[in-house]
Amino acid sequence: MIEVRDLVKMYGDFQAVDHLSFTLEAGEILGFLGPNGAGKSTTMNMITGYISATEGDVLVDHKSMFDEPEEAKKYIGYLPEIPPVYPDMRVEEYLNFVAELKGIARSERKAEVTRVKEKTSITHMTHKLIKHLSKGYRQRVGLAQALIGNPPVLILDEPTVGLDPGQIIEMRNLIHELSKEHSILISSHILFEVQNICNRVLIINHGKQVALDTPENIIRNLGGTATYAITCRGEKEQVKKVILSVSGVEHVSEPEENDGLLQVDIGYQTGTDIREELFFAFAKAGIPIVESKTREKSLEDIFISLTKEDDHARNL
Amino acid sequence: MLAIFKKEMRGYFQSLLGYLFLAFYFIFLGIFLYSYNLKLEYANVAYAINSVARFFLLLIPMLTMRVFAEERRQKTDQLLLTAPISYSKVVLGKYLALVGVMALAALGTCIYPFILRRYGDTSLKIAFSTLAAFFLLGCTYMAIGMFLSSLTESQVVAAVLTFIVILFTWIVDLLGAMLPTDAKTALLVWSIVAILLGIVLYRLMHSKLVSCISFGVVEAVLLIIYFGKSEMLDGSVGNVFGWFSLLTRFENFKYGLFDPAAFIYYLSMMVLFVFLTIQVLNKRRWSQ
Repeated sequence: MIEVRDLVKMYGDFQAVDHLSFTLEAGEILGFLGPNGAGKSTTMNMITGYISATEGDVLVDHKSMFDEPEEAKKYIGYLPEIPPVYPDMRVEEYLNFVAELKGIARSERKAEVTRVKEKTSITHMTHKLIKHLSKGYRQRVGLAQALIGNPPVLILDEPTVGLDPGQIIEMRNLIHELSKEHSILISSHILFEVQNICNRVLIINHGKQVALDTPENIIRNLGGTATYAITCRGEKEQVKKVILSVSGVEHVSEPEENDGLLQVDIGYQTGTDIREELFFAFAKAGIPIVESKTREKSLEDIFISLTKEDDHARNL
Repeated sequence: MLAIFKKEMRGYFQSLLGYLFLAFYFIFLGIFLYSYNLKLEYANVAYAINSVARFFLLLIPMLTMRVFAEERRQKTDQLLLTAPISYSKVVLGKYLALVGVMALAALGTCIYPFILRRYGDTSLKIAFSTLAAFFLLGCTYMAIGMFLSSLTESQVVAAVLTFIVILFTWIVDLLGAMLPTDAKTALLVWSIVAILLGIVLYRLMHSKLVSCISFGVVEAVLLIIYFGKSEMLDGSVGNVFGWFSLLTRFENFKYGLFDPAAFIYYLSMMVLFVFLTIQVLNKRRWSQ
């Protein structure tokens, strides 16, 4: 749906976005990650045609955002970091204005506004002034605005920032729901939420691409080994032998004895799952496992290490 | 375009702004009509209208300061500029709403010549051509105010800039007349203008090269004229300053002179500033 080609944005001598290229496929949710100031919003503002690029191009359904902006913009619903709402307007009035602005025919406007209000569950707020709405509802009105005209692509810039935990879950469910009908590019600095809802993740730092893959692959390829810690009742040597017989296990720590129980850390490749096999191997050997827990690296750890490495390289 | 026009109009009349503008306008108009036409018994409403035009200095910035500055501050320009419509339509929609408010003021004024006519002989032709010129003058100031509002995020800055520029258009012909008309002064004034141009270009493009070259070219042309045909510079400052004197065009109407050149002048100024506003949006797109 969207093809970003070699995008560069310079502010004077400062390079905010550095030769970024990626595509947003139809029907996918692409997570866009990076620390604050990495160039996420700048990139999104370029994709939506709010600002221009110094170099490169953005193709929306094969139409260039910079050469045919009016055509390309029709395909995109945009929720910027701060929802672009007029505090002095009522919800209904605002959505009607956006519908007219986006060129929805008068006869369909009412139905369209009703549809987006229902989608974002703000129907009961119809007659409220936007300035009297809570942050969460304002965010929803912003999302409703992006949905008007049913654009195939949604671009959401940090849609959960500033929301309380309950609202974050609601917003995440809503986005998941919307992904059935729209391709979505969603930026965030909270990895946990991206890890759960995105098909692919693009990580940038200092305007440069650091990684672009599925969350699982990123964890597998960049995460290195994860640790599975178990406590069991058995003989040291036998336990080690049993563990090493399980495929996927890379190394075993020397078992530590504690109150008649053995504690052992098992290293394995991130992304694989050794737990079931381990269970059956222990069961077969007649060794009871009394406690176990995974210490897999989250996207967060990877993200931190990736962006740190980059910072480190820069400082050299 | 219509969507923006309607939204702006609603904005003016859902807040106090539009009413305040009209209320102040009609209060001032009433005061001047009373003193000129009822007390002093002039038959011409043009005097009253002319005096009210002076209050544009306060009234216009009040209306135009928020037009783009507020959108930028509350980030709603992201909605307008990412919607599938062209920037010129955004600007025109907003400008036409301003013109609409001005038109309400002008339309309301239309009844006064008829009222005066009941009590004696007044020229409707003079009254209405003055009113038309007055309307165009207001629209021109609005175009300037809108342009200045597009330059900043702060309404206060926009208002102050508009205030200063309108004030400048009042005194600019006086200023031009005060300066000596010899070629040396002209060279000096235009050199200052060239330096300012260089600074503005640098602010816009952040390129020392471009601004220095522009300044160099302008200065070179000036020097060539000065040493070659210095008589071309005689009185040029006064003439050029005169171009910006919006009020002198208006004053002819007061004396019953119908001046079509003034209409064309006002229309060109409006087109110029609307165009410049569109360019500011385009340029922001590049440098933001």
